[in-house]
Amino acid sequence: MNLPVQPASLVTLRPRAGTQAYFRWRPVGDRVLVTNLEGNWLLLGQPEFAQFVEGHVPEDSELHARLKAGNFLRAHYDVRAAAERIRARKSFLAGGPLLHILVVTLRCNETCVYCHASRANMDQVHTDMTRETAERAIDLVFRSPNPFVTIEFQGGEPLVNFDVVKHAIEYAVDQNRAHGKRLQFTMVSNFALLDDDKLEYLMRHRVQLCTSIDGPEKLHNAQRKLPTQDAHQRAIRWIKRINEAYAANGLDPTLYHVEALLTTTRETLPLWKEVVDTYVGLGCKALFLRAIDPFGFADRTRRRLEYPRADYMQFYRRAVDYMIELNKQGVQILERYASIFLTKILRGEDPNFLDLRSPSGAGIGALAYNYDGKVFTCDEGRMLHEMGDDTFLLGDVHGSSFRDLVGHETVRAMTIASNLDGQPDCVHCTYQPYCGTIPSFNHKSQGSIFGRMRESNVCAVHKGIQDYLFEKLAEADPATLAIFDRWTTVRSRDHFVQPAP
Amino acid sequence: MTTVLEGAPAGLVAVDVQAAAVQFLVDEELYPLPAIYGAAYVFIDRCYVFLDRPEPARVRVVLTAKSGAAEPEALRALIGEFANELLSCAFRHQIAQDNRVLIETATMQALAGAMGQPSLDDLAKFDFSDQGFDDPLGIAMSWEEKHGRKAPKSESEGGP
Amino acid sequence: MTDRHELRFSRRLYHGEAVDQAVKAFARFASFDLEQTDDDWVVRFTPNDPALARRLRGELGNHALGLTVQRGGAK
Repeated sequence: MNLPVQPASLVTLRPRAGTQAYFRWRPVGDRVLVTNLEGNWLLLGQPEFAQFVEGHVPEDSELHARLKAGNFLRAHYDVRAAAERIRARKSFLAGGPLLHILVVTLRCNETCVYCHASRANMDQVHTDMTRETAERAIDLVFRSPNPFVTIEFQGGEPLVNFDVVKHAIEYAVDQNRAHGKRLQFTMVSNFALLDDDKLEYLMRHRVQLCTSIDGPEKLHNAQRKLPTQDAHQRAIRWIKRINEAYAANGLDPTLYHVEALLTTTRETLPLWKEVVDTYVGLGCKALFLRAIDPFGFADRTRRRLEYPRADYMQFYRRAVDYMIELNKQGVQILERYASIFLTKILRGEDPNFLDLRSPSGAGIGALAYNYDGKVFTCDEGRMLHEMGDDTFLLGDVHGSSFRDLVGHETVRAMTIASNLDGQPDCVHCTYQPYCGTIPSFNHKSQGSIFGRMRESNVCAVHKGIQDYLFEKLAEADPATLAIFDRWTTVRSRDHFVQPAP
Repeated sequence: MTTVLEGAPAGLVAVDVQAAAVQFLVDEELYPLPAIYGAAYVFIDRCYVFLDRPEPARVRVVLTAKSGAAEPEALRALIGEFANELLSCAFRHQIAQDNRVLIETATMQALAGAMGQPSLDDLAKFDFSDQGFDDPLGIAMSWEEKHGRKAPKSESEGGP
Repeated sequence: MTDRHELRFSRRLYHGEAVDQAVKAFARFASFDLEQTDDDWVVRFTPNDPALARRLRGELGNHALGLTVQRGGAK
């Protein structure tokens, strides 16, 4: 077993408390990263770190000025500034559910190697959501106090039950006349059942379209199976068509294009370059290098698809190094994990990605409505229900009020469990101000919604990615820093917001 | 028949391969009871869990595989996982006490924000008969009840 | 020979109502006797089907523990 070794110069330090404000630290390359309560950070050389922890930084030194500016010194601690920074980072806290996932059917025309429990065969029509259930779900959506709401159509394959998708869109637009929310629709589809009429409808109703691309054609078709063996070809044909339609409507192609999602399996790991090239070739501006999660498939399958997280991190580093090189050559492609973390690290803001915040968004930031009207804290909770585990079931659109659902004891428990201020390891982790944990993942993989972070795959990935990003920030290559800065720039995609009623 | 597991603290951990069971003797001074409950509870989907107290300040935790059979390696893994979970729960118990205000504040803001203002229907449905409400600080009492002058006993007796 | 079993739930660790409720939940599967000593809630049972004794013993223990945890402990 390899245990990480602390640099010798740090082991011999004799810390002297009194001058420092609260801080956490972690060696990053040959530097030491320090972060504080409000998420300010500094990368110090080892002699600088020694001066800091031993409490003899000269007042007239450049180091003293940096520490003071970052609010790392007790004598100069600016409580008001710290409170403002924390408030900015936690601005999502009181927002209420923003994302509402409607699983309009479990039926799916594709058979994916990593998806069993959350899909049904095409003849299982009883797994279609009815119009009435969709209406009741949307009634609940508008009870959310959040002025921004996004309704995401998922499945199964949502195009299988397109009549209900259309009905839900029209009913929601109609209901919004009374509520006046900033309403958006997204649909996650494999596009294989798309046709011109459906596309025209979706474009006219400003539905943002997302799909899954597992990388190059051979890998994609091996993992996402259609009887015709052409899942990849169909997906990319429609991605191009949709992107052309956006351009024909006069929309900026750097902002308006199909978003695609990757599921990283063991087969994906050696293909990091091919995966990036595939996404760039499709005109995608973002690639989310998501590690596989334990939901929706049998343990037997997991052993075939899973991989050690160290292997994943090698894949991640290679892929993002390559993406940075492409950006230097003028190609615009960002990695979504990096973008989320960098926004928190460099801008002190939270992009409100529900699985990467403290507390997590389960129930308080999102709700998932199953085809039969059952409501869950998150889509993972819904998938576990399909596997026979009702831990994350909150109620039913037909019988539960909005306050019953979000005030449910399960939501309370998950809010507490995913608060990193109560989590061993996280509470002392240098990356705590930027991180988050996923209670449903902890429950599935470790038997409790709290989990044990030192043994958690999610934690290993989060720490690994932040190590990588801070190594790059320590290298301080101006071109890389400029790319990172661009990756944190959030440009609003107002076209997808429904016109004001 | 219980045997001592190689590498495990003597007298604290024992294994019974035939019964597919492991047992731990946990020191309550090191691991508070809520942590022992928390760790034990995590295993009730896989194991039959039984607690007893063979001596003061010691809790014995017995985990028996529900399947009725387990390889020594699986039992060793069970011991390791329980020990890790126990430490995690004990630490979390302490952190929750230390950071109680921080955690409660965030939770309250998140839930109050997510639930929004109650509608008239919500208020009409509120169950005032619920006796489970604990009010140790007397927040739900009126000012008069809490601070007002106590009525003389004689006046309240025999009233209408 | 009767297939009689005994479980002793420590009163410092298990809530009395939790043990009572657990026994009620499994009443269909065995005949139960309850006794209260200074230290323990004592549950003696004879399973309707002797082959289920091990499972019954285990599930009863889990049920009593689960309800005790739900109540916040033995007190």
